[in-house]
Amino acid sequence: MSEPIIAATGLTKRFGTFTAVDALTLAVEPGAIFAFLGANGSGKSTTIRMLIGLLVPTAGTIRVDGIDVIATPRRVRDRIGYMGQKVSLYQGITLRENVEFYAGLYGIDGAALERRWGAVRERFALRDAEGERPESLPAGLRQRAGLALATLHEPRLLFLDEPTAGVDVASRDLFWQIIQDEADAGRTVFVTTHFLEEADYCDQISFIADGRLVANATPEELRAAHSDGYRIDVEAPLAAGALARLAAAGFSATHNGDALTLRRPQIDAPSLDALAAALGPAAIGGLRIEQPAMNDIFTRLIERTQVTAP
Amino acid sequence: MSAAPTLAGAAPEIDLAQLVKRYGRKHALEGVDLQLTGAQLVGVVGPDGAGKTTLLRAIAGLLEVEAQRANVLGFDLRGDVRALKAQVGYVPQLFALNRELSVIENLRFTGKLHRIATAVFERRAEELLARTALAPFADRPTGALSGGMKQKLAVANALLPEPALLVLDECTAGVDVVARAEIAALLAARRGETLVLLSTSYLDEAASCDRLVYLDAGRVLATGTPAELRAQVRVELYRAWAAAPRAIAAAARALPYVVAVRTSGRYARVEVAAERSPGAARVIADLAALAGVRVVELRPLDMETTLLALARSGARA
Repeated sequence: MSEPIIAATGLTKRFGTFTAVDALTLAVEPGAIFAFLGANGSGKSTTIRMLIGLLVPTAGTIRVDGIDVIATPRRVRDRIGYMGQKVSLYQGITLRENVEFYAGLYGIDGAALERRWGAVRERFALRDAEGERPESLPAGLRQRAGLALATLHEPRLLFLDEPTAGVDVASRDLFWQIIQDEADAGRTVFVTTHFLEEADYCDQISFIADGRLVANATPEELRAAHSDGYRIDVEAPLAAGALARLAAAGFSATHNGDALTLRRPQIDAPSLDALAAALGPAAIGGLRIEQPAMNDIFTRLIERTQVTAP
Repeated sequence: MSAAPTLAGAAPEIDLAQLVKRYGRKHALEGVDLQLTGAQLVGVVGPDGAGKTTLLRAIAGLLEVEAQRANVLGFDLRGDVRALKAQVGYVPQLFALNRELSVIENLRFTGKLHRIATAVFERRAEELLARTALAPFADRPTGALSGGMKQKLAVANALLPEPALLVLDECTAGVDVVARAEIAALLAARRGETLVLLSTSYLDEAASCDRLVYLDAGRVLATGTPAELRAQVRVELYRAWAAAPRAIAAAARALPYVVAVRTSGRYARVEVAAERSPGAARVIADLAALAGVRVVELRPLDMETTLLALARSGARA
């Protein structure tokens, strides 16, 4: 296991008598897409602001890309790109002028600017938006432009706070393809969202409630712990010995006439192998996999942890 | 009942023909035709910039519009709409209640505006606060509520006068799943009594509507029940399960009939254009032949696929 690129221990933030973040410990692997989830008011934005050096914690330590963020908050800013819930593009000037302004802050100009912006503009499908002012762009395009600016200085980490809130389904689809491409290229992505199906596009999920960490797992581990698991309906005829092999791989089976229903808490690489091998090539398309929805998993998690008193 | 005049017994109704809204030279609505009859939950969906907010504001009587016909609850949107506004609950995208007042004070203010009798107000407010789980926060200043609580209050406040028509503009954007479920329960309690129009970018909310109105570039591109919209879409949906689905995405995209691929967890979600599809058996065999693929499913179309396909057809038009 590699050294975490984000490591926070005992992170705490109090505002007067109110504890917004309470002894939070986080570790994010380099190159991972890390989902940071929780109900409204659970402390997500406060945590992000501490991690990127905008807010000094009451207690705890933070290292981001090897830098002590509390001691030297300015040093972390060249390593990270940040996009908040409200995209910080200047109104009244065009997207291209925004680009030149941001590039100037990072000392990028001339040929380097043309090369980097040219690549980002194509990848983020922003060519038609270049001459537009941000206020006249639809929300999805504005968010993509915000993400493009956050990546212009080629940061090692991206912090995205609800980047897809209020964005339409086609723009979200494109946005996540871009995020997955960024991660495949080695960038670490730290992201919050209320579209819970997006949690499945991530490698690791931390869930906080009232400023405390209540879950930290992969999407499949969360399914195993907080749902009734997968249900697989098999329509194709089974090969001889298939049931025994499936049972050995952790599937439970129930028959209803000719129909077979398999259940398993989670689906991982070995169980997929076992499923394919047991069913054989003829059955590969003859099944229906019902996956527990992330909405239901997080509803369970929130209801388990929510305090109802003021 | 409230002392204000009501349309007792009248079916909530919207009848728009060639509704146009211009901002200067820009046309936000390019000629909307829409007929809605009866109390139901209607989702207004479509790409960003399609005109959803403008349409909802127009229906709530908040904009001057041009049209061949523009009737809402029997009022003409081109005339005096003051009486209409008393029948409409409207929740805008941005929180618009008084931040200085407490939760209960905001509700009381609305109660007084609509001249709701004290005993009636007390009963309705108690019920709304219970349903939204806001009762323990009744005395908290509204400005100190979390984003989800603010939106729950905004919807509860709009429901307080029991309007014949409720218009909600992205009222759940940025709201967590539990608060969204509480808002959905509030609306469900009024099902069959109120015509509710809501815009949303959540797929589960769109799927739960009785009827969807798909807007694109200021026009209604499609309308119908979620099932009717699905039936219009000429796409097949497959899932190719693999240990590392991101590794198969590029190869799946290269298949000639594939429209789009996105990975999620352990599978790649593959959309195939129906008119180019060589048939499910062949698609399943082709996907199964990609290195790493273990299992392939043909899926029923979901709301995401339906809306993505409508967005593509809108972009082509």
